[in-house]
Amino acid sequence: MNIKKGIYFLFLFFLSSSIWAQGTDHLGAIPSLNMNKKVDEKWSMNTKVESRVIYKSVNPQGDIIKKYSHELSDLTFIMSRSIGLSSRISAGYMLRLEEGEIQQRFIQQYTLIQTKNGYRLAHRIVTDQTISPSEKPEYRARYRVSAEIPLNGKSLDTKEFYVRANNEYLNSVQNKQYDLEIRLVPLLGYVFSDKIKLEAGLDYRINSFLAKQTEQDFWFSINIFVEY
Amino acid sequence: MNKLASKKWFFILVFFGPILLSAQEKLEREYRIKEKNVPAAALAFMDSLGINVKTKWYTEESLDRKSIEVKFKFEKRRYSIEFDTFGRVEDVEVTRRWKAVEKNTQNRILMQLMRECTKYKIEKIQFQYIGLEKHLYEIIKNPNAKTPLQMKYELIVKCKSNGGVDLYEYLFNSQGDTVSKSKIIFKNSSHLEY
Repeated sequence: MNIKKGIYFLFLFFLSSSIWAQGTDHLGAIPSLNMNKKVDEKWSMNTKVESRVIYKSVNPQGDIIKKYSHELSDLTFIMSRSIGLSSRISAGYMLRLEEGEIQQRFIQQYTLIQTKNGYRLAHRIVTDQTISPSEKPEYRARYRVSAEIPLNGKSLDTKEFYVRANNEYLNSVQNKQYDLEIRLVPLLGYVFSDKIKLEAGLDYRINSFLAKQTEQDFWFSINIFVEY
Repeated sequence: MNKLASKKWFFILVFFGPILLSAQEKLEREYRIKEKNVPAAALAFMDSLGINVKTKWYTEESLDRKSIEVKFKFEKRRYSIEFDTFGRVEDVEVTRRWKAVEKNTQNRILMQLMRECTKYKIEKIQFQYIGLEKHLYEIIKNPNAKTPLQMKYELIVKCKSNGGVDLYEYLFNSQGDTVSKSKIIFKNSSHLEY
């Protein structure tokens, strides 16, 4: 059993978290519930509820504020259609509640899953457009590569741990200003059954390092995936 | 957005979550095992080959049987040797190129694929050998050796037909006649997509 490997992995990223967290602008958690429904052979539907809570943040004056606060909540619907053996196109809509304001996001997505010898690789390209009452529209183009590595065996089975590591690049334009954000997300997952997976890990984000002062966010990520 | 599409979105947003029954798939399961848990006879067979390669050992379980498997790469070919739980060698599989398949057999296989698929692509070819241990030993040492082993071809084929594109595992006998065909079910990947 490779549970030891999993615990070692968890220990490593909690250790690294304490080092990274020292220079962060936001420290918090992103819990999410992800529900996926296969409608038929081609179509599937995804519903995601996600929140962001902050434990520590740095204000513009550089003061550290240690106060628990709820930053935002998202509700996302995505409809996907497979267009080949391992690729899928999707379109979605997200509602975001942030500081009493509702933002809307329109999402277009393409994913490609590659099965390699002993692991899977997923490429995801997303474009999205966000509109909100108080800000100019934001347009983003993002690319994410994810690797899923089963910790015991050649492919992921039930009652098995796995590691998922994401690396994402987000290009955004808002009010004629360009920005780039990079995300690194190492996660440890467990497959409870064909229908339930749980993942926990880090979500490290670095942005604004092209034009403005670099901002680093550090989130503890917990994801539940349910197939129904 | 046309009327049909708006109906679909309405359906999604308002009636999100219609519960449909989803098919249960029974899949084989494998676990990585340490060398110390491998039956002695299986280790002895590997040692007797006298090849210095990195090996990975697995226990494979399906509904009705359990077996031991070792995987390794030797002379640019991927090998998989299956043993029973006592460590007796059962079969050898080796990944080969299409051109290594005998010409007449190639033709019969292609005829079959053309009948069943409007478009196809052979993704992977494995030669499967079943027989006595001494002959299996011989075929690993020399993949082109003439042996009385029973031989089959396992092909992973991407097949486009009227029903769409699917991936199949075909098993052909040495003459190129189909022994079995099964659709490969992909494991859920929603956590990789969203």
